[in-house]
Amino acid sequence: MDTQSYMPVPPGVGLEENFFSLDDILLSHQRLPCRTENAFPRLGFLEKSSETPDILEGTKMEMPLWLAKGLYERKRRVLSVDLPKMYREGWRTVFGADPNVVDLHKMGPYFYGLGSQLLHFDSPENPEIAQAILQTYIGRFRRTMDSSQNAYNEDTSALVERLDFLERTLFREGKSVQRKW
Amino acid sequence: MDPSEVEFLAEKETVKIIPNFSLDKVYLIGGDLGPFNPGLPVSVPVWLALNLKQRQKCRIVPPEWMDADKLEEIRELERKEDTFTPIPSPHYMELTKLLLNHAADNIPKADEIRTLVKDIWDTRIAKLRLSADSFITQQEAHAKLDNLTLMEINTTRTFLLDSLKYMYKLRSNLQPGSGKSQDY
Repeated sequence: MDTQSYMPVPPGVGLEENFFSLDDILLSHQRLPCRTENAFPRLGFLEKSSETPDILEGTKMEMPLWLAKGLYERKRRVLSVDLPKMYREGWRTVFGADPNVVDLHKMGPYFYGLGSQLLHFDSPENPEIAQAILQTYIGRFRRTMDSSQNAYNEDTSALVERLDFLERTLFREGKSVQRKW
Repeated sequence: MDPSEVEFLAEKETVKIIPNFSLDKVYLIGGDLGPFNPGLPVSVPVWLALNLKQRQKCRIVPPEWMDADKLEEIRELERKEDTFTPIPSPHYMELTKLLLNHAADNIPKADEIRTLVKDIWDTRIAKLRLSADSFITQQEAHAKLDNLTLMEINTTRTFLLDSLKYMYKLRSNLQPGSGKSQDY
């Protein structure tokens, strides 16, 4: 029972994000491919590949999550978000076939978190995305548990590098178990 | 919970010792410690037994279950059953470790006992992991496990609870609109 003076705020549940959670802040830095539905006058400097002083309607650009969430309106006058390729049909079948094979860290270290936030932008595939993320998590759980609880004092970097951020947190928990023995 | 805290709690269990000194009854807040007469067995808590042993003032009598044949029976039973079998002491792991570390000379077949207890422990932990795994993969909401000791629960507690929490988070994605609004 160690009492801490610094209790970090954990990431939010499901669709919510905790404003003060460092993990959520880092998560929302991930970029999403978007298409602008409106023109943004005099903001051309944001889009590095364009030379015009304005951003024209229909430009494809990458925006960080926090910006995309803020600008997204249900009436869709401002922005429309495309799904990153990881959450699309092709990759979803890969996850369905064997979740353990995929290197989730390379795919963006916040696979689960970003996937949960994507559900904000109502895409017609939302239920499938949510289901796919859940199934991937469940499928990889066994491997995470086994490797974390048996890795006493060894170099674990080879095991950890294929894990997503959320799985790494679990991994650290599992490792701390081995302290006594 | 820290493993050392579980060990601390385990030291409350009583064990029989044979002192080689004499002392009148001692009245402590936690209970009375009976009069000590040399050569007569008396029941004391493990923390006191270990302390006396280290000062060479007593001889520890191993508990009844700490016997090679009994432990072997328990081990075979554990391997046959799919669920957890009742075990003789709720702190068998800690007591074995403490007694074998400090009083191995008083316990016959100490090495065998150590191996047997470790086997029992490994079997039970494997069953626990299997159970946790099926709990998560089938997304059940409720699991019942009998006859688990505190130490075994302790090994899996943080990991299982956190992974269930994350699973809950991901599951709540499937029901949009539940808990989405915040009231100020």
